[in-house]
Amino acid sequence: MIRIASACLLLALSVPALASSFAGSSAGASSAGSSASSGSSSGDDKVVRQARDEAASFVASEGRIRGARLEAALRQLRERDPAAREASDMQLAQAILAL
Amino acid sequence: MRLQPDTASLTPEQTAATQQLLDSAAQRLPPAWVAALGSIPVAWRDDLPTQVHGRAKAKQLLLNRLLLEQWMARPANAGIDDPATRAALSAVLHELAHFYDRTPQGRLSRAPRLLDLAGWQVSPLRLGLRTPHNAFSDRSPDPYELSRASEFVAVNLEHFLLDPDYACRRPALHRYFSEHFDWAPAGAGCAPGQVFLQADADDGESALLQLEPWRVYAVDYLLAEANQEPMSRWGHSMLRLVICAPGRPPGPDCRLDLRYHRVLSFRAFVDDVQISSWRGLTGSYPSRLFLLPLEQVIDEYTKVELRALQSIPLRLDQTEIAGLLERAAQAHWTYDGRYYFLSNNCAVETFKLLHDGVPRLADEPLASITPTGLLRRLTKAGIADASVLDDPAEALRLGYRFESAGVHYQAMFDVARSGLGLPQQDAQEWLELAPAQRAPWLERADLRASAALLLLEEASLRQQELLVRDELKRRYLEQGAEPNAGGFEGEAALRDFLRTEGFLSRPAALLPNGGYGLPQTDERKALELEGERYAAQRKRQGVALRVDARKWMSPERRSMFEGVEANIDSLDKQLRRLHKEQGGMQLQ
Repeated sequence: MIRIASACLLLALSVPALASSFAGSSAGASSAGSSASSGSSSGDDKVVRQARDEAASFVASEGRIRGARLEAALRQLRERDPAAREASDMQLAQAILAL
Repeated sequence: MRLQPDTASLTPEQTAATQQLLDSAAQRLPPAWVAALGSIPVAWRDDLPTQVHGRAKAKQLLLNRLLLEQWMARPANAGIDDPATRAALSAVLHELAHFYDRTPQGRLSRAPRLLDLAGWQVSPLRLGLRTPHNAFSDRSPDPYELSRASEFVAVNLEHFLLDPDYACRRPALHRYFSEHFDWAPAGAGCAPGQVFLQADADDGESALLQLEPWRVYAVDYLLAEANQEPMSRWGHSMLRLVICAPGRPPGPDCRLDLRYHRVLSFRAFVDDVQISSWRGLTGSYPSRLFLLPLEQVIDEYTKVELRALQSIPLRLDQTEIAGLLERAAQAHWTYDGRYYFLSNNCAVETFKLLHDGVPRLADEPLASITPTGLLRRLTKAGIADASVLDDPAEALRLGYRFESAGVHYQAMFDVARSGLGLPQQDAQEWLELAPAQRAPWLERADLRASAALLLLEEASLRQQELLVRDELKRRYLEQGAEPNAGGFEGEAALRDFLRTEGFLSRPAALLPNGGYGLPQTDERKALELEGERYAAQRKRQGVALRVDARKWMSPERRSMFEGVEANIDSLDKQLRRLHKEQGGMQLQ
């Protein structure tokens, strides 16, 4: 009964927050601030930084694993940077990984 | 309608004042309301309890005589804000609302849509019957409205007729009454958009998110798939708001503006580190609606809990999306429900939000007590479009599905293994090595293998973090059992942290009493300040907790932890070096 019942209680704020206070510290523990204004470079950077794990799996899988965060970062880079428009997805993914 | 005051025991002045009061009330009524009522005798009484201002008997309207005295003593040019004026008018309007509600034209307190909006929600477990308890209890103009539907109607009609900002604070009810009467009182301009508290706002972002409905391109049903943990056996249901980046016109391109997307998620707030099944069964956890950044939700599920997410678009038009957002804001600020494992879990809450927020969906057979069941029914009714998952690669690329990080671990290991000739058989075996044993292999990896190994080291770090969390939890709980054991120095810090989260978990608690419903301009200003203060405090405590956690760790755990961090650091450097050596493109 209790097993079935313990369905989808999502451990609320406290427990995951505690988890996330320890988790995610590897990529960008010094999470740079993002300004509320649109198009600010720090906000753009965040999109790219958030894609780092997906860039890694893209590079490691030679392009087979391709997630939405990487897709968003590729679009962002190409919207912003003319040089990025000339580059292939793999070149950009490697560049994100080397950030 | 004819209001006939009993003037037998009144002085001429009292008679005149009574007439003035009744006229003033009658002037404020919609024509349809006046037309529905006949003749009603009105009497001032001094045998009513002090707190009772009036009573609508079967055929007679009784009013507390104290109100007459205060009405007569009010300042000469008193407006509606004068307490005596307001009290007397409210009392008359409230009782006339009861009379109107009893007429065949009225019957508002039995109307299903009104009951939805009021908060006597339908319950999937009760064959469509409504919950006997109204949990929309925070930021109420008058808690008496929660006692029963007829009082809800009477109290709300008072405010509908007397408050210029009723349309801003309870917009859906205002629309409902206006349509019902085909008439609306003069109103004030409302603060724009909807606001939500963001407990996890980024640095530099406001703790209060203002959301304009037109910026929401779509709403998806967001399902966290089940895993084997007892708490996650059924999955979790949420709603994803596909919000367009500033400057991007609403359209399919907004789907990749992940950074701006938000998730509406009902969560049981657990004010402790341990979840108790018993407390979950007996409803002692509050269930409230939170707005979370999508990216945080993705990380929490796919990286920490290793669960996949499905994001299935719902076919809603722009008006329906606006209505749903408005309802979500109403629930965010006023709903203080109780979590019950079976009868009021996340699936039930999400169902009710859709049911009450989008009237069209109230007619569909959607009721379900499981997240997957609700999705199945939404799909069957043609509301959810699950065809976005048909092409698995496209689904991942466009964010209709977010894969669990765990799915790729073996593939990553295979890449590293074939590049380096690792002797281990699988990812599990590799991760069971001590970090220092893995380190010599890392140095020899090429770019591709380094990328794969980086993901595995990060997985290892998260594994260590979960172990640390469990270790701390155990110590915290042991400490709780023996208050004098004195072995757990971080306890106070953890308690402070949980207390701050408690504040942030009840948005209404950040506002002073007085206002009701959706927060308006002045309240929003206060909220920004209060919200920011708590969010900053929480962030500070979180950082301190993380620092302290290092001290609390056992020496073996700390050395594992630091070993993994060193591995990640050296892989980062290596990736940069290899990229540079290959003449790779440098981002600014």
